[in-house]
Amino acid sequence: MKNKKIKKPLLTVLLAVLLFAVLSGGIYAAPKEKKASVTKAKTVDVKAWDCAGCHKDKKVLPDSHVPIKEMPYEACLVCHIPGEKNAGTLRTKIPGSHLHALKGVKCAQCHGKVKKPAPVEMSKCVACHGETAKLAEKTAKVKPQNPHESPHYGTSADCNLCHHQHAKSENLCAQCHKFDYIVP
Amino acid sequence: MKKDDQSEKTLSRRNFLKTTGGVAATAAAMVGGLNLLPAKAEAAGYALPKKWDDTYDVVVIGSGFAGLAAAIEAKNAGASVLVIDKMVLHGGNSIINGGDFCAPGTKLQQENGVQDSAELMLKDMLRAGAYLNHPDLAKMVAYNAKGALEWTESYIGAKYAKLNFHGGHSVKRAHGTINSSGSELVNKELAKAKEIGVKIQLRTKLVKFLSNKDGRIVGIEVRKDYKFPDDNSGKPAFIKAKKAVVLSSGGFSRDIKLRQIHDPRLTDRFESTNQPGATGEALLAACIAGAMDVQMDWIQLGPWTSPDEKGFGYVPLFCERLVGYGPMINPKTGKRFFKETGNRKERADAIILIGDPVIIMGDSYAVNKQIFPMALQKGVEAGAIKKFDTLEAVAKEYNIPVDVFLKEIERWNSYVEKKKDDDFDCMIFKDAQPTVVGPFYAARLWPKVHHTMGGLNINTDAQVIGFDFKPVKGLYAAGEVTGGVHGAVRLGGVAMADCIVFGRVAGTNAAKEKPWG
Ligand SMILES: Cc1cc2nc3c(=O)[nH]c(=O)nc-3n(C[C@H](O)[C@H](O)[C@H](O)COP(=O)(O)OP(=O)(O)OC[C@H]3O[C@@H](n4cnc5c(N)ncnc54)[C@H](O)[C@@H]3O)c2cc1C
Repeated sequence: MKNKKIKKPLLTVLLAVLLFAVLSGGIYAAPKEKKASVTKAKTVDVKAWDCAGCHKDKKVLPDSHVPIKEMPYEACLVCHIPGEKNAGTLRTKIPGSHLHALKGVKCAQCHGKVKKPAPVEMSKCVACHGETAKLAEKTAKVKPQNPHESPHYGTSADCNLCHHQHAKSENLCAQCHKFDYIVP
Repeated sequence: MKKDDQSEKTLSRRNFLKTTGGVAATAAAMVGGLNLLPAKAEAAGYALPKKWDDTYDVVVIGSGFAGLAAAIEAKNAGASVLVIDKMVLHGGNSIINGGDFCAPGTKLQQENGVQDSAELMLKDMLRAGAYLNHPDLAKMVAYNAKGALEWTESYIGAKYAKLNFHGGHSVKRAHGTINSSGSELVNKELAKAKEIGVKIQLRTKLVKFLSNKDGRIVGIEVRKDYKFPDDNSGKPAFIKAKKAVVLSSGGFSRDIKLRQIHDPRLTDRFESTNQPGATGEALLAACIAGAMDVQMDWIQLGPWTSPDEKGFGYVPLFCERLVGYGPMINPKTGKRFFKETGNRKERADAIILIGDPVIIMGDSYAVNKQIFPMALQKGVEAGAIKKFDTLEAVAKEYNIPVDVFLKEIERWNSYVEKKKDDDFDCMIFKDAQPTVVGPFYAARLWPKVHHTMGGLNINTDAQVIGFDFKPVKGLYAAGEVTGGVHGAVRLGGVAMADCIVFGRVAGTNAAKEKPWG
């Protein structure tokens, strides 16, 4: 079965492109210990499946992982679906930027064609993902509280406050509340 | 960063070190790494940066009620204005606040048939404050609260829907925002500030005030792209304030180290209702630059918080709407133990004296009438507010001796009937009814650190006063970072009035300063 070949957990499909991760001090700067050893140069041209293209010799996938050379995103999803016995969704496993890259979104599509990429405005997120008010409607039933609408910020909180692209995402609400969201 | 002149010192700093002891000296010593021990201070001094990264007429620290009010007034007075905040989001405690704004003699009070005056509000503030309030500052707030409230309505566009009562006030004078949150006001302040051209810069932490050789504040050192709470994050930068700096960095309820210096009981056993960034480093930085602090050990515990939820939670909205309608019971005895409408300090102290959580309760009449439905629903969902079909069930849940309890409720009900509490003199509202209609609702109460009354010493022009009793030139302060307005106890709803009144004064006066260069 074709499926079998890639069935082994793709667990930490740490994909190649830790794009701009070392934007020191930038809005997306990853906490120090989180930074995989990535060289700044040329990450832009590295293919999404080419981990070593950025991470060099550092092992980012588990030994048991199937080879991912030339693997398109759709193929990842064969194993990486939620539920027992599956490899679990890739969201939360790898940084958002890697997911973007896997889906074929190029650095420049968010950061623009610039030498020194800067933090991305929320309007960029919304341009593809839709208005946050709409998103909040979709998540209205999430318990214990709609994560996309609050009495403090309405639906206007910046996506990147929680959904980081070049660092591990975080649950900002948990600073003050007992809301145990899993944040992609 | 290269410094211009390593020998340039501030007079105020020297004076400060020579003349102060106690609190502020401790504060200075606490700021580790600055190497400003008295013996070395002369040599260290303050040096100005060679190059300023940014220049504004007025630089405001903190994006809460006070800071944004100051920024708006300064901008409207013609100054260029920058507001910085260290957090990733604006709003500080103001954006998690309950939205109750106290002001006397307002339209909403008239509509509700409430007789009130600035004089009475001042009287309430002073009585609650144990007369430790600096009378001129308290008076400023009481007499200008109405104008401040109206400014937030007519100019900022904030909306208030309901008149609420808070313990310690003689009358209902808290104007509740339409969403029962300070976000209604602070978000509209932010929108207005942006609209008129105030620059807002988040993730920028004030590290140090910079003074020239005359002790005048000329700018600040910050860490840009700071990531709370990592002190090493971000990069140093220098911002020049041509006219003045307004410090509106809020209170220090979450600063366990600092609050324990002033009140050693307040260890990490006590939770806080505040946002995580409510810490005192900016206040201490001002002290190091020569500002005097006052009444730092008056730290308020909220008597209406629940041990069954995190932070402020929903129970305070439940408890404070119920006092004067339902009783507070000590589960150990089954009896009431204190005046429900008493002020925060009295009530918190009474609960701490009991040593274990107590309960506040109400019947369906009181709860449906008084409690914001969302708060009730969320409180119940979180398990912090509980619903019971009978009074016996309430007793069972909290291990209350049932016979005593039922008798005590009868006794309470008789006081409600005659609108007079013979036991504790609780204020019983006209529309209150005996606690008889099931289902009943109850919540446990245990205090959390809520407000720091103490802070920087200011005058009625919002100028910060130094250790030579003279204004520290170029430095203004407003809001919870200041001390003296509230004395021993801040009454509910008076912080908003304080922040807007003094925020506006600070901004207006900061813009009037003569530029130093
Ligand atoms: C849960 C809760 C409910 C409340 N409800 C009410 C109520 O209903 N009515 C009422 O009158 N009062 C209420 N209060 C009190 C009131 O909200 C606060 O006193 C008030 O918001 C303080 O406003 P502020 O502008 O002084 O400070 P804040 O709103 O706290 O703003 C200060 C800002 O300064 C920033 N800051 C701090 N240090 C630095 C630094 N070093 N560098 C840069 N930025 C810094 C902080 O991050 C913060 O954003 C409540 C308080 C809490 C916590």
